[in-house]
Amino acid sequence: MKGKSIQPYMLLLPAILLASAFSIMPFMRSLVLSFLRITPRGTIIGPAGFDNFISLFRDAAFRDSIMHTIIFIALFLPLNTFLTLLAAILTRRKRRYGAAFEYIFFTPLAVSMAAYAMIFSEMFRGRVSIINRIFGTEIIWLDSPMTAMATLVMLSVFLDFGLDYMLLLSSFRSIDRSMIEAAEIDGAGGLRMLFSIELPQIRPMLLVTVFMAAKDAVLISAPVMVLTEGGPFRSTETIMYYYYLEAFRSANVQAGRAISVMMVAISVLLMALAGRRRHE
Amino acid sequence: MRKIALTMVLLIASLMAFASGAAEDDGSVITIWHSNSGRIGAAFETLVDRFNDTIGKDNGIRIEAIYQGAANDVLTKVKAAAAQDQSSLPDIAQMDATAALDMKNADYLVTAEETGADISSILPSAIEALNSDRGLLAVPFNCSSLLLYYNKTVFEEAGVEPPRTLDEFASIAEAISQKDDNGKIVRYAFAGVPTTYELGAFIGAQKGLSYMVDARNGHFGIPSKVLFEEEGTFRNFLEHWKSFYDTGYVANLTSGISDEFAAGRTATMLASSSNLSTVIATVAGRFEVGTAFVPAVDEEATGGVNIGGGALFSFSDSEGVRLVLEFLTSPESQLYWAENTGYMAINTLLYDTDEYKRFLDDNPQFAVAMEQTLSSNPEVVGIWLPSAYQIYYSFQSEIREVTENGKDIDKADSDMAGIIGRAIDEYRTQNGL
Amino acid sequence: MNRLIRILLTLMLALIVLFPLIYGFSASFFSPIDFTDSYAHMLPSDPSFRNYGLALSHRHFLRYVMNSTITSALTAALRIMVTLPAAFALTHFTFRGRKALFIMLLSTLFIPSDAILYENYATIASLRLLDTYAAIILPSVFSASAILMLYGALSSLDKDVYDAARIDGAGCLRYLISILAPLSQPYLVAIAIQTYISSFNSYLWPLLVTNRDSMRTVQVGLTMLGFAEQGERGAQFASIMVITIPFLIVLAFGRKVIMKSLSRGRDII
Repeated sequence: MKGKSIQPYMLLLPAILLASAFSIMPFMRSLVLSFLRITPRGTIIGPAGFDNFISLFRDAAFRDSIMHTIIFIALFLPLNTFLTLLAAILTRRKRRYGAAFEYIFFTPLAVSMAAYAMIFSEMFRGRVSIINRIFGTEIIWLDSPMTAMATLVMLSVFLDFGLDYMLLLSSFRSIDRSMIEAAEIDGAGGLRMLFSIELPQIRPMLLVTVFMAAKDAVLISAPVMVLTEGGPFRSTETIMYYYYLEAFRSANVQAGRAISVMMVAISVLLMALAGRRRHE
Repeated sequence: MRKIALTMVLLIASLMAFASGAAEDDGSVITIWHSNSGRIGAAFETLVDRFNDTIGKDNGIRIEAIYQGAANDVLTKVKAAAAQDQSSLPDIAQMDATAALDMKNADYLVTAEETGADISSILPSAIEALNSDRGLLAVPFNCSSLLLYYNKTVFEEAGVEPPRTLDEFASIAEAISQKDDNGKIVRYAFAGVPTTYELGAFIGAQKGLSYMVDARNGHFGIPSKVLFEEEGTFRNFLEHWKSFYDTGYVANLTSGISDEFAAGRTATMLASSSNLSTVIATVAGRFEVGTAFVPAVDEEATGGVNIGGGALFSFSDSEGVRLVLEFLTSPESQLYWAENTGYMAINTLLYDTDEYKRFLDDNPQFAVAMEQTLSSNPEVVGIWLPSAYQIYYSFQSEIREVTENGKDIDKADSDMAGIIGRAIDEYRTQNGL
Repeated sequence: MNRLIRILLTLMLALIVLFPLIYGFSASFFSPIDFTDSYAHMLPSDPSFRNYGLALSHRHFLRYVMNSTITSALTAALRIMVTLPAAFALTHFTFRGRKALFIMLLSTLFIPSDAILYENYATIASLRLLDTYAAIILPSVFSASAILMLYGALSSLDKDVYDAARIDGAGCLRYLISILAPLSQPYLVAIAIQTYISSFNSYLWPLLVTNRDSMRTVQVGLTMLGFAEQGERGAQFASIMVITIPFLIVLAFGRKVIMKSLSRGRDII
C-alpha cells in the first residue's frame, strides 16, 4: 500500500511506545549511566570510564557468581538436553498409550516455577527427606554448596522440560514421512533410522532449544531466590541473583547497571550464535 | 469480530479501573510493612485488629498491615521504594538490626524521638540496641534474645544440666547425643553454625563487654576498624568452638535446624527466643522443650547477650503513627505479643503486674529470655555493618573451614577481619570519608 | 529387546517427571506431624482435606489467584491488540522508515527483561504505578517475537484481498478486525497461550512492583502464605495443588492445541 497517510504510524505507535519505554530506553539508560559516576543519592558527578565495571569485578562475590553461573550452565545444559531429547525420542512415534506418556512429559508445563521450587525444597529438605529415603542417602542437599547446586540444576531441568520436550517432539513429528518410509524400505532399523535420518532432520530445532535454554540459564535468578536464596554461603548465587541483591537490596544501582550492560552483550552474542547456526 | 474487539476494549478498561491497590493517603490509613508470618503473623494481625477496633476507630485511623517476607525482604522493599518514589514508602516498617546502618543514613527516616511517641517505659537495653549518634532510630517492638533450646527429656535422661560454657557443652556432648547400632549418629548434641547474630553474644560477652568493630559496634559514628582481631575475641571463640566440634557430636547445619530439633535429631540449638511458640508447636509434645542461657565462651565472658529482633522504623511523623507506635508498645499489647510469640515484653510497666508474673510462672521457657536479658550488660549490642549479608555468610564459612577442614584459627581470624575491614573501607569511601 | 528397553526407559523417565507432582499432591494431604517424623513420608498417615480447607480460607490466597488470572489474561489480550496492528502496518504498508522501525522493534529481542529490571522498576515507580495491575502488565505487553510471528503469518497473505477490501470502501481498522484477525486466528491463539503461561508464571517482576496483599500475584503469594512458619506445611502444598490442578486439566484436554501453539513461532528466533 502506498500513501502518505499517517495510518501505518498510528498502527505502530503502541508497539513503538511500549518497546521504547520498557526495553530500548531502559537499556540505553543503563548503558549510558553505567559509564558515569553517580552518588547513591542519584547525583551525576562525572564520567567514570570503566570504573563501575572494574569495581564490580573487584568484588569477590561477583566473580564467584560468574563461576556459579558457569557451573550451573555446564551441568544444566547437557542434562536438560539429554533428558528432553530422550523423552522426545521415546515418544516420537504415535503408539498405543503414547498419548498418556506425551501428557506426562507435558505436565511440567502446568506447574509454575514457585510451585516446583517449593515442592523441591520439601523433597530435598533436611536429613530426613524423601529423596534421601528413596536413594538411601544421608545428604543434606541444600546445606552444602555442591549438592545445593545439584538441586538447583534438577529444579531448572523440570522448569524447562515441558516446553523443550514439546518443541523437540513436534519437530520429530514434522519430519517428512516419505523420508522415513523410504528408509524403512531400505531396511533401516530403529536406531539407525534415528541417528542417520531423524536426528539430522531435527538438528536445527535442537540447536535452537539448546541456545534458548542457554539464554535462560545465563539469566537464572528467580528459582535461586525461592529455592536457596543464594545459599549455603552464597554458593548458588548466580549473576542475576547477585544483580537483584546489588540493585535492590544493597541499592548499589551502578553495579546493577554494569551487570545489565554485560548481560545484554551476552544475550546478543548467544542470539547471534543461534542465528548463525540456524542458517548453516 | 468487531463486537468481540469492542467487548475486549471495554473489559480491559473496566478491569484496569479497579486494578489499583493504592489507598488514598489522607493520613487515615497507617501502612505497616512487617515480617511476621505463621503464628507470629497471626498474633500481629490480632494486635492490628484490636487497634482498628478501639483507638483507631475513635481517632478515625486504621492500620493496614502488609507482610513483605523476611526482615531483609522488608528492607529491600523499603530501599527500593525510597530510591524511586518516596510516596510508596509505608508509614512504618518493622525491620531488624541489619537495617540499622542504612536507616541511620536515610533522610526519609523519622527517628523515634521525632515521632513524639512516648518511650519512657521501654526496657533500657531494648532502647540501647537501637540507639545511635542520630538518636533512637526506631521504636523497639519485637525484641528477642538468643537462647539455647534443649531437649529437656534427653537432658533429664542423661542426667545433665544445660551447659554454662562451651567447655561444659563439649563435656556433655556425648551424653546428650545418640548413636545407632552401626555407630551412626542419630542425635547430635548441637546443630548449627554460628554467625553474626550468635557472635554478637559470643564475642560481645567476652571480658564483660567487647565490640567487634569500633564506634561501639557501629552505633555511634561510622566504624573505622575491626577490634576482634587485636582483642583476640573471635580467635578465643574459635578455639573453644573447635574443641566443642571436635567431640564429633556437632552437625554443621545452616538450614532446617528447627526441624531437626523438633524431630529429635539434635539435642540443642541456638535460636532466637521469638521462635519459642513455633518450636513448641512443631515439637507437638514429642518431648519437653527447655530453654537456657546461651553458653559463654569461657568463664570470663560475662556480658551475656544483646537484644535482637526488630523494631518499628517510621517514615512519617503523623499523629496516627505516634498512636500506633504507642499502642504496639503498650503494656497490654506487649503482654499479648509475648504470650503468643516468644518475643520479650519490653514495656517495664508490665513487670510488676500480676498478669505478667503469672504468665512467666506458667511458662518458664518464656521467662528465660527475659532473665537472660536482665542479667546481661545492656551495653552489649548487635553489630551494625555495611554488607551485612556478605559478612553473615563469611562468618559461617570461616567457622566451617576451621571445624571441618582444619583451617588455621589465626588465618581464619585475620581473613574474617580482612573481610569486615574491606567492607568498612568501601563504605567509608562511598560516603566520602 | 529394543522394545523392552524403550518401554522401561519411558516408564522410568515418566516416573521421574511425575514424581515431584505426585509427591506434592500426596503432601497436600499430610498432617503436620508427617513432615517432622523420624522418617520421610511418601503417603499421608491420616489423609484429610483439612489442608485444602486451610488454603482456601487463607486471608489472601484466592485474591492472589484472581490477580494472576486477570493480569495474565489482560497481558495476553493487550499483546494481541498491540502486535496485530503493528504487524499489519509492517506487512501491508510501505512508508518511510518502515525498515528502521521494524529493526528497532526487533532489537528488543536482544534485551532480556530480567537484565533491565531496575530501570523498569524506576520507570513504573516514577509513573506512580506501583501496586497496580498496570505495573504488572505494561512491561510485558510488547513482544518482539510475537511481532515476528505475526509478521511471518501476515506477509504470506494475499495482498489482493486487502486491495479489494479497500475498493469496497472498507476502512483499515475494519479490515484489520473483520478480515485479518480471523485469518490469523491460529497465530493469535498461539500468542495468547504463550503470553498467558509466561505471565502467569512470572515471579520476580510482580514481586518487585507489588507491595500490597490485594495486588500480589499467586506466584509471589505462594511463598508468602506463611503456612510453613505455622507448622502447616500441608496447607502450603494444598495451595500449590489448587493452582496447578486446573492447568493439568486444561493441558489434558487442550494438549494438541497447546502443542501447536507453543511450537509456532518459537523457531523463528
